This record gives sequence, structure tokens and C-alpha cells, in this order.
Amino acid sequence: MQELTAGRLRRGLTDPLLPVAALALLAVAAAALDAAVLCWSSIGALAGFSLSGSV
Amino acid sequence: MLFSPGWRAPVRQGEVLAVFTSGLLLGGMLSAAVIWLLSGLSAPLPHWARASAVLAAAAAGVAREFGLIRLPLPQNARQIPPDVLQTHLRRGTLQFGFELGTGVRTYVSATAPYVLALALLLAHESLPLTLLTGAAFALGRALSAALTYLARDAHRDTAIATRMPMTKTATAAISLSALALLLL
Repeated sequence: MQELTAGRLRRGLTDPLLPVAALALLAVAAAALDAAVLCWSSIGALAGFSLSGSV
Repeated sequence: MLFSPGWRAPVRQGEVLAVFTSGLLLGGMLSAAVIWLLSGLSAPLPHWARASAVLAAAAAGVAREFGLIRLPLPQNARQIPPDVLQTHLRRGTLQFGFELGTGVRTYVSATAPYVLALALLLAHESLPLTLLTGAAFALGRALSAALTYLARDAHRDTAIATRMPMTKTATAAISLSALALLLL
């Protein structure tokens, strides 16, 4: 049972949508604060992540 | 698969991930450097014209991801040959990462990388910022591989496949919103 719980937790923490949400918040917040470097970096990371596939 | 469970090669998967990430960074920063060089051509245009073009490209990206317009992507419809990994694993992984990092050597199935490249081309930002954005693109690509490695999930491909449509549409929409806030 403990194995199962750990596995589910690990899968939840590595869900592909979590980085999307975090980077999206970062990109919009950085843009609103006129933090160009952070904004461009977040958009760049999102673009890279959008190519997720089986590697 | 490089980062799936059931790995049997004599090299640790963590090491392969580090080499793969290095290759991605090299490729991403090389493409960013080329984009920065070409972006000099857009420098004479006024800011409003460049900002409008960036936002038009980002809006077209959103429309494409939501299926509102059909727009073929000018991708290199080629898979990186799997034999690059079979002879020398470390060198092959570096090459594999580099080719993926450039974004021009294999399939690019989402609109966001094209919008990003066009935006950098038209915005003509500084060289350090453009390189940093290229590095961030590479790290975003590496993050996907790192999460696959950490998930140790035999059904990871399914998890990714089911979330990819939402990832692509969200990325396109966020790119448009953030660029509009930043450039206007």
C-alpha cells in the first residue's frame, strides 16, 4: 500500500501540467512587472516544454 | 526510450540526462545566436510595427492551436536516426540533445517555438537576453525529460500524450498574453 501511495505521489508531482501552470504564472507576472528577462525566459521554457514527447 | 523505467545500459540514466541537457543547451543557444544575428534586419522598423507583427504571429499561433485556422508548420519532417545512440551512448546523447535543441533538425509539433523564434527575430532584444531565452527553451525541453526520469512511470507516454493538447493551447495563449503585456 505504501509503495502504491509513493508511486501515486511521484506521478502527481511529476504531472506534465504542473510546470505549464508554474511557468505560465511566472511569464504573465514577469510581463506585468515589466521584468523582460524573466518574461522571455519563461516563454522560452514554456515553448521548449510544449515539445514534450517520449525521449 | 532514454528516460523510461527498465534502463539497462552501462551508463547511469542521471548521467545521460546531464549530457542530453548539455546538448539541448548548446543547440538552443546556437539557434538563439543565429536568430539574434538575423534580428538585426528588423531593427530599422519602428517599435510599434515590430510589436504588432510579434502579436499578430502570437495570435495566429493561438488560432492554430485552437483549430481555428489551418497553418502548416515549416518543420523538418525527419526523425533523428536512432543509431546515433547505439554506438557511443554519451556522444550520441549529446548529438541527440543538440539536434533537438536547435529546433530545426527534427519535428517541431507545437506552434509556440515558431512564435518564440519570430518574436525574438522581430523584437531584436540584446544578445544576452536572446541567448538566455534560447537556454530557457532548451531547459524547458530538458525538464520534460527530467520529469519522465523522475516519474519512473511505465505509462508516462500516455500521461504526456493526454496532456499535450492542453499544454500546447495553454502555451500559445500564455505566450500571446505575456508578449502583449510586455510589448504594449
